[in-house]
Amino acid sequence: MPQLKTAAALAVAIILQLCLRPPLSYVDLPLIVVVYIALQRHAWHALIVGTIAGLAVDAASVGLIGAGGFSKTLTAYLIYVAATRVNLENTLLRIPVLAAASIIDSAIYVFWHRSLGYPPTMPFMQTLAYRLIATTIVGTFALYLLNSLFTERARQRRTFASRRKGARRGPRKLGR
Amino acid sequence: MFAYFSLFTLHLSLVQMAAIRTQKEIRQRAPIWLVVLLLTNLVIMAVDARDSVTRQRLIRVWVQALISPAQNLSSGASGAGTNFVRQIVNFRSTAAENENLKEQLFSAQKELRNAEQAATENERLKGLLGLKEQTGYEQVNARVIARDSSIWFNTITINRGSSSGIALNMPVVTGSGIVGRVIALSPWTAQVMMVTDEKAAAGAIVGQLGGSGALGSVRGLGAKGLVEMRYVSGLEKVEVGNYILTTGQDGIYPPGLTIGEVVQVNPGTATQSHEILIRPGAKLDQLEDVAVLLYRAPARPAPEQTLPNVDKTKK
Repeated sequence: MPQLKTAAALAVAIILQLCLRPPLSYVDLPLIVVVYIALQRHAWHALIVGTIAGLAVDAASVGLIGAGGFSKTLTAYLIYVAATRVNLENTLLRIPVLAAASIIDSAIYVFWHRSLGYPPTMPFMQTLAYRLIATTIVGTFALYLLNSLFTERARQRRTFASRRKGARRGPRKLGR
Repeated sequence: MFAYFSLFTLHLSLVQMAAIRTQKEIRQRAPIWLVVLLLTNLVIMAVDARDSVTRQRLIRVWVQALISPAQNLSSGASGAGTNFVRQIVNFRSTAAENENLKEQLFSAQKELRNAEQAATENERLKGLLGLKEQTGYEQVNARVIARDSSIWFNTITINRGSSSGIALNMPVVTGSGIVGRVIALSPWTAQVMMVTDEKAAAGAIVGQLGGSGALGSVRGLGAKGLVEMRYVSGLEKVEVGNYILTTGQDGIYPPGLTIGEVVQVNPGTATQSHEILIRPGAKLDQLEDVAVLLYRAPARPAPEQTLPNVDKTKK
């Protein structure tokens, strides 16, 4: 079931994110999963996954609970809208999508913290740059991996792989 | 036959139209779902923001408690891997390092003898100032298992919590200096705000208690890894290399703990205080093991009770 796979991927991403330390923690794994779901053009799934991912990371952080949920939900929606208007199936096109998602998510997160009197203590531009680079690089490979494991086309490819092997061997000759 | 075929075709077209309408509905309803979820997150943020820093959020306590086994496992695995790689890298320089360490041990023993003499002098000076140790403190050793998961805050998570006797605002130290204070708790973990955080502060003195009048307070400077000491009179003598200690007046850290070493001084004047930058004594970017002091600051008398003519027998 696709929802079960999504939930499993999200759970793994959140647990890894809570366990990683710098510099690995600059990779925003839950955001990568959110971007993947949004690129599948599943609006409801993308919004829910974004909210859950953001709230889970907020709960383990000392920041405001809800700021991450807000930023990831809004990022998921913007990616979904872009995916419904532009064909983003190409792997190369996903690189700027990941970069934009990382920037939007970080900017909204820091904006709410500063607005509500809880400014983050890490320098904005430096942290944003590290997060952007790390998430884009790892996210490109991760999206390719998620695509090859979870999409319908991949499932069909695996299902018909054995039939293709048989076809390549050629027709059997009768009487032998 | 023709009737059946036409009915079947009509049924197929109706199903197709239903599917198209559902997709349209999804696209039309997505903004409504978005607004509902965003408002939910805003409400949660507003509730979280209104409360004071030291009050706990149950969801935070539960999440920290649930995630601590995974963080412990990850920390242990990464520690083992790091040690293995470190052993391989350091293999060649082991002999030279051994000689170096022997020399350091000799000088450390010499410093220890000097420190014991200074401690005796410190006890005399403390008596002169009228300071009393009203509470003793034990410590709980802990290991750092995670950093802040959002990467935007300067906090660490340790693998001891309220079940080990730790409470909020207890000081966290290493052998070389203070690390910070406990700001959040779960039964098995605690989050520590480091002394370099911009919201962190402590009462401080240059040199030893009673040996200097250079009192002030230290404040974190964020990601620079330094702390700043403020309100030190420009008439006091402060030099690079001086050690900064806690005074105990902040109600969090007991007196006499090392904060760090002065690395830069912009001298002040009679009307302007010094600008002092301090490198923390504890290596905050390489923390592995820390200790939480089970220290409670002594209760201070109510201000009116300290006035000279107040009848102190009345409550």
